[in-house]
Amino acid sequence: MNELNQLAVTDEMMLDEREQIIDQLMREYSDDILHLVYTYVKNRTIAEDLTQEIFIKCYEKLNQFNQQSTIKTWAYRIASNHCKDYLRSWHYRKITLSNKVFDHLPSKSKQVEEEVIKHSEENSLTNAVMNLPLKYREVVFLHYYEELSLKEISKITSVNINTLKTRLKRAKELIKDKMIEEV
Amino acid sequence: MNDPFKNLKSSMEKSIFKDFSFSNERKNAVREAIRTNQQSQFHTETIIAILESVQHESRDGYNISIQLFQKNERTFQKNEGQLYTLLHLLENKEMLTSNWINNKKYYSLNSKGKRYLATYKQDITKQGLSLNPFITEASL
Repeated sequence: MNELNQLAVTDEMMLDEREQIIDQLMREYSDDILHLVYTYVKNRTIAEDLTQEIFIKCYEKLNQFNQQSTIKTWAYRIASNHCKDYLRSWHYRKITLSNKVFDHLPSKSKQVEEEVIKHSEENSLTNAVMNLPLKYREVVFLHYYEELSLKEISKITSVNINTLKTRLKRAKELIKDKMIEEV
Repeated sequence: MNDPFKNLKSSMEKSIFKDFSFSNERKNAVREAIRTNQQSQFHTETIIAILESVQHESRDGYNISIQLFQKNERTFQKNEGQLYTLLHLLENKEMLTSNWINNKKYYSLNSKGKRYLATYKQDITKQGLSLNPFITEASL
């Protein structure tokens, strides 16, 4: 019987309401979520694809949202988990990573735009952060770019607040070392 | 010591996130996916009404739609095409079987559909005609 139960849905009104909530989520947070996703996957097109999937996922899971956190925190949590799933996926590990190897072959010239960004003095901070290991990059980005509190970040990543503090501290050390190295 | 990440936001906005936002095309793609998803979801009552309409004799789609109309089941009003999608789905789930007679496809209940209908009616009796528990379960 289960398969049919899955087809059935209770309330027509409820569906409209859910669509409106997703619309509002997209209006307010789509760029923030897109940027968050980018910090995980470091590729614009993939970030756009994943963000699209994330909003569809939010729609599907909306009845599991339990009001214990804000809808923003809840959506970020879905986004973060979706990205981590992607980075663990077969597709990413086998296909995307092997394409990356080609990118590093000297024969293939990189896109000019990318090159310019890389060499711009002002963006050395961005590049340094983007090159941090994921667990540091994640907390730094959520705290300094998305301007979330450690409590919120803890809800999004399921990482203890004290651990987050330690990671932030360590990230600062890593960045300072990196900057000194460059100067 | 000053905070090395103090300027991170402006630095990122000027570099990797420059002209990088979630476009309207992307938003519309999400909306479209959501609508398709909605259309493939049907009420339990609708499914039951269809199964009931063919439980005693086989009917073609048009006759089923008339039966539904008489039962005041208006899901497919102005949206008749969806009825055929659902019939097709129920056929794939082996709730219904079909026969082509004179260029019309006649649907009838097969054993799985009969069982489903019987269980549903039993559940209603048990729950004293209250549909709510079943529907709540169905929406999870």
